[in-house]
Amino acid sequence: MTLLLDILLSGLVLGGMYALIALGLTLQYGIARIMNLSYGEFLIAAAFGALFLYTGMAVSPVLGLLLIVPAAFALNWLLYRVVLTPLVKRAKNQGMLEVDSILGTFGILFVIQGVMLVVFGGSLQSYSYLSVPVYILGTTLAANRILALLFALVIGGVLYLLLTRTRYGTALRAIAVNPVAAQLSGIDIASASALAFAAGGAIVGAGGVLVSMFLTFSAASGVVFTMKALIVVIMGGVGNMMGALVAGLLLGIAETAVARLVDPGLTIAVTYALFLAALLWRPTGLFGRPAR
Amino acid sequence: MIEISSVSASYGKHQALDGVSLNVGRGELVVILGANGAGKTTLLKVIGGLVPALSGRVVMAGNDITAMPAHAIVEAGVALVPEGRGIFGEMTVRENLLLGAFPARARAGEARNLDLVLGLFPRLKERLAQTVRTMSGGEQQMVAIGRALMTSPDILLLDEPSLGLSPIMCKELFQILARIRDAGLGILLVEQNAKQSLKIADRGYLIESGRIVGEGAGAALKADPAVQRDYLGAG
Repeated sequence: MTLLLDILLSGLVLGGMYALIALGLTLQYGIARIMNLSYGEFLIAAAFGALFLYTGMAVSPVLGLLLIVPAAFALNWLLYRVVLTPLVKRAKNQGMLEVDSILGTFGILFVIQGVMLVVFGGSLQSYSYLSVPVYILGTTLAANRILALLFALVIGGVLYLLLTRTRYGTALRAIAVNPVAAQLSGIDIASASALAFAAGGAIVGAGGVLVSMFLTFSAASGVVFTMKALIVVIMGGVGNMMGALVAGLLLGIAETAVARLVDPGLTIAVTYALFLAALLWRPTGLFGRPAR
Repeated sequence: MIEISSVSASYGKHQALDGVSLNVGRGELVVILGANGAGKTTLLKVIGGLVPALSGRVVMAGNDITAMPAHAIVEAGVALVPEGRGIFGEMTVRENLLLGAFPARARAGEARNLDLVLGLFPRLKERLAQTVRTMSGGEQQMVAIGRALMTSPDILLLDEPSLGLSPIMCKELFQILARIRDAGLGILLVEQNAKQSLKIADRGYLIESGRIVGEGAGAALKADPAVQRDYLGAG
């Protein structure tokens, strides 16, 4: 019983991170229409940022969020404006933009990863922040994990409200639904896409800080997070925020269960098995409507 | 109010429009008749900023809007209801109408425009929370026109609004368009349904292979034997 609860709680924390990270990718892919393979690199860069601030300057990760999230927003905005906008402009259709953005961001992945390897080295990193056990219903969970989950909930919740309850947020979702009709409603797609891409970058920056509080990471682990975010987005249905939340939690719990009950080495295999099952069973996602 | 002069445009190597000139005034309903592939849809897309003009000018109320992006043309007072309706199928009726009021020019009159739209289409009032994708073709067309009217336009461009509608819905639609015109808007209507559209049109243009080949008052066109033969299906 305790083991089950333990798995559930740890899984929820991990799943909450996945859901938050997938939410950011949804903004970048669903609205700005960029399939960003360098997404996870920004997570690791933010994790290194948090590590540096905490161990080098004694700035807590919570305060670090206030520095790192705006920086991630600005960097991603610049990336979209300088590197990706030319791709968007020359793409004749969505398929062409997808291919170009995959190739382009694949390059960016190695640029960022290379810089991080030179600056921080290739070894696994972690730091100890609030790693005190908290007793919940007979089991324990580290305080940093609880804090990370709370922040993920707040950030995800605020984003959800902004996207569904404000006019500009509704306009952003409208671009994902029908970009032509969005233009005809007076929405400037170019600037809105830049904003959505930057917001996605800010989310993954926040995710990186939160993840660094309880997971070890290295300069090479970005791609794992990119893949997991992609899997959650596709499982949940592209552009579907509730779907991403459920798929993220599901993945977190499944991974934790397999790591505790079977073998930690199997987590990636389970991730992909779940992904394949979703693709075969519901190709448009758990909550997506059947393909037309 | 909107003045299109010598506009040419092409899709790849195919010249879709060749020196088209026409105008629509305030409170005027103008219909463009022509066969499939004559360039009607391209013309509306050029005016709306979705297809670039190779030459010529589009001037709206004294402002040259030829090279403006589509979202800026909406702010200039031109609203396009494209073929295939241009609606947000995954969103609710309320969200679609709210998005129509996104342009800065539409904010002040939002409540008034919403009353206008729900007055024209009372059925939408009961369906505000419904997802548009799940509605009938006629209802989706109401949402499309409603969304365009929410942008507070001076000119409304409509591409084949009667396509796929039942004869009854079709008749109702044309009556509503006449009411919108009577409220002071200019309407430029592209239609296959020549009979119904000439009934309500103030003027009409005939387009063939990207060129304007005739124009006249609605009643005069309807009585023209050549128009009857080519567009009204009379022997």
